[in-house]
Amino acid sequence: MSTTQRLSWRVAALASATALTAAGCGSGGGSEDSPDDPITIGVSLPLTGDFSEPGKGVERGYKAWAKIVNDKGGLLGRKVELKILDDQSNADRVVSDYEQLIGRDQVDLVFGPFSTRLVVPAARVAEEYGLLFVEPAGAAPEVFDQGFKNLFYAAPAVANDHYNHLADYILALPEAERPKSVAYAAMDDPFAQGTAYGLKDKLEKGGIKTVVDEVYPPNTTDFGSIAAQIASSKADMVVGGSQYQDGVNLIVALQQLNYQPKMAAFSTAPTEPEFAKAIGDKTEGILAPTGYTQHADYPSNKDFVEKYTEQFGKAPEEDEANAYTTGQVVAAAVEAAKCASQDEECQQKLVKWLRGNEVETVVGPLKWDDKGRPQSAHMIQQWVDGEIQIVLPEEQKEADLVHPKPKW
Amino acid sequence: MPRDSERPRHTGRLLRLGALLAGIAVALSFPSMAPSPYELTVGIAILNFAVLSTSWNFVGGFTGYISLGHGAFAGLGAYATGLLVTKGELPSFVALFVSAALVAVLAIPVGYAALRVRGASFVIVSIALVLIMLLVFQSWASFTGGSRGLVVPRPFPGKLRSEHHEIFYFLFLGLLALALLAWWIIDRSRFGMGLKAIREDEDKAQSLGTPTYTYKLVVFVVSAAFTALAGGLYGLWFGDLDPVFQFSILSGAYMVLMALLGGVRHLYGPLLGAVVVGYGLEYSKLEYGDTPLHLVFAGLLLGVVVMFMPDGVIPAVTGLVARVLGTGETSIREVTAAELRDERDEREADVRPDHRPDGKRPDGKREVRQ
Amino acid sequence: MPSASLVFQSIVLGVLLGGLYALLAAGLTLYFGVMRVVMIAHSAFLILAAYLAWYAHRETGVDPLLTLLVTVPLFFVAGVAMQRLLLTRLRPATLTMMSVLLTFSVALVIEGLLGYAFSGTQRRIRLGYSSASLEFFGARVAVVKLIAFGLAAAALLGLYLLMRHSRFGQALRATIQHREAAALVGIDTDRIAGYGFGLGLATAAVGGTALSLDTTIYPSLHWHWIGPLMAIIVVGGLGSVPGAAIAAMTLGLTQSLLQLELSTTWAQTVFYVALFATLAVRPQGFFGGRLAQRF
Repeated sequence: MSTTQRLSWRVAALASATALTAAGCGSGGGSEDSPDDPITIGVSLPLTGDFSEPGKGVERGYKAWAKIVNDKGGLLGRKVELKILDDQSNADRVVSDYEQLIGRDQVDLVFGPFSTRLVVPAARVAEEYGLLFVEPAGAAPEVFDQGFKNLFYAAPAVANDHYNHLADYILALPEAERPKSVAYAAMDDPFAQGTAYGLKDKLEKGGIKTVVDEVYPPNTTDFGSIAAQIASSKADMVVGGSQYQDGVNLIVALQQLNYQPKMAAFSTAPTEPEFAKAIGDKTEGILAPTGYTQHADYPSNKDFVEKYTEQFGKAPEEDEANAYTTGQVVAAAVEAAKCASQDEECQQKLVKWLRGNEVETVVGPLKWDDKGRPQSAHMIQQWVDGEIQIVLPEEQKEADLVHPKPKW
Repeated sequence: MPRDSERPRHTGRLLRLGALLAGIAVALSFPSMAPSPYELTVGIAILNFAVLSTSWNFVGGFTGYISLGHGAFAGLGAYATGLLVTKGELPSFVALFVSAALVAVLAIPVGYAALRVRGASFVIVSIALVLIMLLVFQSWASFTGGSRGLVVPRPFPGKLRSEHHEIFYFLFLGLLALALLAWWIIDRSRFGMGLKAIREDEDKAQSLGTPTYTYKLVVFVVSAAFTALAGGLYGLWFGDLDPVFQFSILSGAYMVLMALLGGVRHLYGPLLGAVVVGYGLEYSKLEYGDTPLHLVFAGLLLGVVVMFMPDGVIPAVTGLVARVLGTGETSIREVTAAELRDERDEREADVRPDHRPDGKRPDGKREVRQ
Repeated sequence: MPSASLVFQSIVLGVLLGGLYALLAAGLTLYFGVMRVVMIAHSAFLILAAYLAWYAHRETGVDPLLTLLVTVPLFFVAGVAMQRLLLTRLRPATLTMMSVLLTFSVALVIEGLLGYAFSGTQRRIRLGYSSASLEFFGARVAVVKLIAFGLAAAALLGLYLLMRHSRFGQALRATIQHREAAALVGIDTDRIAGYGFGLGLATAAVGGTALSLDTTIYPSLHWHWIGPLMAIIVVGGLGSVPGAAIAAMTLGLTQSLLQLELSTTWAQTVFYVALFATLAVRPQGFFGGRLAQRF
């Protein structure tokens, strides 16, 4: 459906909602399983507002998936069609969007939105209407504590497990080389905090001292004070539970104070393509967890990277890959259950199949526990020789982990 | 209120009654006519807006004090309800009313600080209230859940989602009726007269013996309590609370916009504004899809209302209708002190300044003496 | 217990931050002084100036400081225009309340347009000297922070000199103190009020450029600034420029020191605690400001 068509649909939907003339109108098409009808998939994404940057990444990933599937003839012989609404990074809107997609537009399937803060309310809508809800971005532990039965997270690991390989590596180091004290600074966001605190729990259990534990609100732009505390603690290692810009700001503030840790790990920020330029190329030795690498040799990944690059002119990042993975997971379930519609029986078949099976994706084979937590692990990357490379785990490494880290 | 000769007044009342009944009939039958639960949620969102802006209008409409911070009371109502249910294990609707009472109590010191000074400081305090609540609810994560959010359990766990929407539609409708009734009663009371005197000229009201400070504080607390009820009901309906979305200046600003647009002096002003803005927000989002232009539209609309029709569309339209129907100006008008002053200023340009026009006071004024 | 060097570091950071707050609060105070207007859009203009500096730097590579040559006059004119075309048209009796809404709407428009033009992505100027720092009695001070502070201090000083020692400054102060009396002695108060407004907005241009040097900017950032700034002008006493400057320094310093013991979020509450305490104890503010009594 073209944009204008989509818009006029929504205008009509609303007009009828408020003008109360819609009682007689039929509801949107697509609920009958005719072989010619496309499979409509409803998504709400933060295309404007605070989460718009990753939101747009997820949108590109979904679009790439739809194109690749359609080029191969679609799902169950039917074309797939995405219906993407903008939730303005707002929880009220995300719920209203899924209400619209499910109730008014009668989409056959739904995909998840971006950010934990939006995933939980959105998942509740899907759950209560009995729809399968595979999501690309709700990695925080809270997402899986809500008792959702239809939710699956389409990435290798939940936030708290992102640093697992690094924790194992540090705890296995000989006493003399092991960092003795760690400073943590995390954004007040379930995902970002989850990554840092996952590592903190493991290192504390291993007897490594926490000397700074700072949480900053997402709107923090001045990191002078936090950096001063970290620098003054002289911690051997600094861990940032960051998104993007806050990680950059914190690193620059630490560099301004000439603080030189032996190890520095930050979530998300160092994996972004802009990162090196943003901190003035002083990247050497910075660690970051990632769930995705363009170089992974999983069968579908090569195809994805190539076609994605063709479509968008650059290689996909983690957000795009997670969105694509979401598509792959749902597609696998649809192929196996041989149905794609809102009716309860079909959705239950999809959920049941995913509970019991493993799916091959661009981030590797995925399977889930009964709460929807994926059971794989994140890789650890490090900036080595001016390039971000995989250093852990052993089997997948592209370079050796550099420790202690060179000065920045 | 216009007091004309008997006959038009009679027909006017009949018309108004008819419109009221028609409105009620439409509102009550809406759920059975809605083609899918989605339309119900749109209805709930608009009703929520309407309750919020009507609640805001207790302060804004009667006293003329513009609070940009009522979002804080709504957020507090929602959080207090949620916390009372999850931590206090109160039944949902008991928690709702307890939370409104708590917010009312909290509004006393806030009002005490905010209302001691006129105008500017009041607005600043109202904005600060939202910002401080946001900080507190984010930071005090062990109690409020912080950025992890707070899940409010469903009051009717056995119901399907669509049934749930339907129940809450009627609950919101009931709350709206309650808020409108309270506003209507205050509007016709001696208390309301005193408040309106504050709006027109606080100094004169005070010198005429109106206990302005007490009056302002009481109506501020009433307004906060209704706002908290709306917020709490929304929390019970929505289920997921997050400080960032609950304590937003923007939501407070929308309340002001809606009330002002409809007309703060009119019982149905905020309701009308809520319908227009609620619909307009949706429409602007549709038309301009994934751009942040909806903020620009909200901003422009607010600017236009403030600049060109600060009394709202209801007076603008009724004025127009009156002119078309030829009923003309009524003998006693409700005019603001500001309008009077403007008129006077214009006249003073020609006439000597000590020549004051008399007998044109707003009708509320004469009755405030105690 | 934080070490002495950390406390000193925090004091330095607090002073640097306080300087920026002081400049911005001075602007807000000017608007209030000349027009009795609470200018909610002040911080939106601040962010706008920061965006202009960032944009100019990205497109042409010029040092963001050079954008001041354009933004300061531009904002001055915009301020005069805003006062003339928008604020003077409001009814005098409801000016204070309605101007809040009007400037609020301006802030929304600016935020929306910035989002439209540059998207919600966080931006940061990358300078060669971004991570450079100086040693200062054992504390490390980032060069960019120092420049920002110097800019704010110079602008404040300029403002002070202008208000103290020029005819225009005299007229401006007279207008702030008693508009009717100023008019009686032959001051064109309308014109002066317009210039006062322009001057206030010019501080936002300077502040925005200073801000862009060292922090991230994004369209909705202005909400983060307006709260502390408004708290500062109330604590300082509405309408008093020195009062605002002192309050800004005090609160900036307190915030910075509180961060040592409390989390960043809790430390931010100091502004609002001070605001409520001021209104409850001394509604006219702590440093002068006869005006606040009535407004």
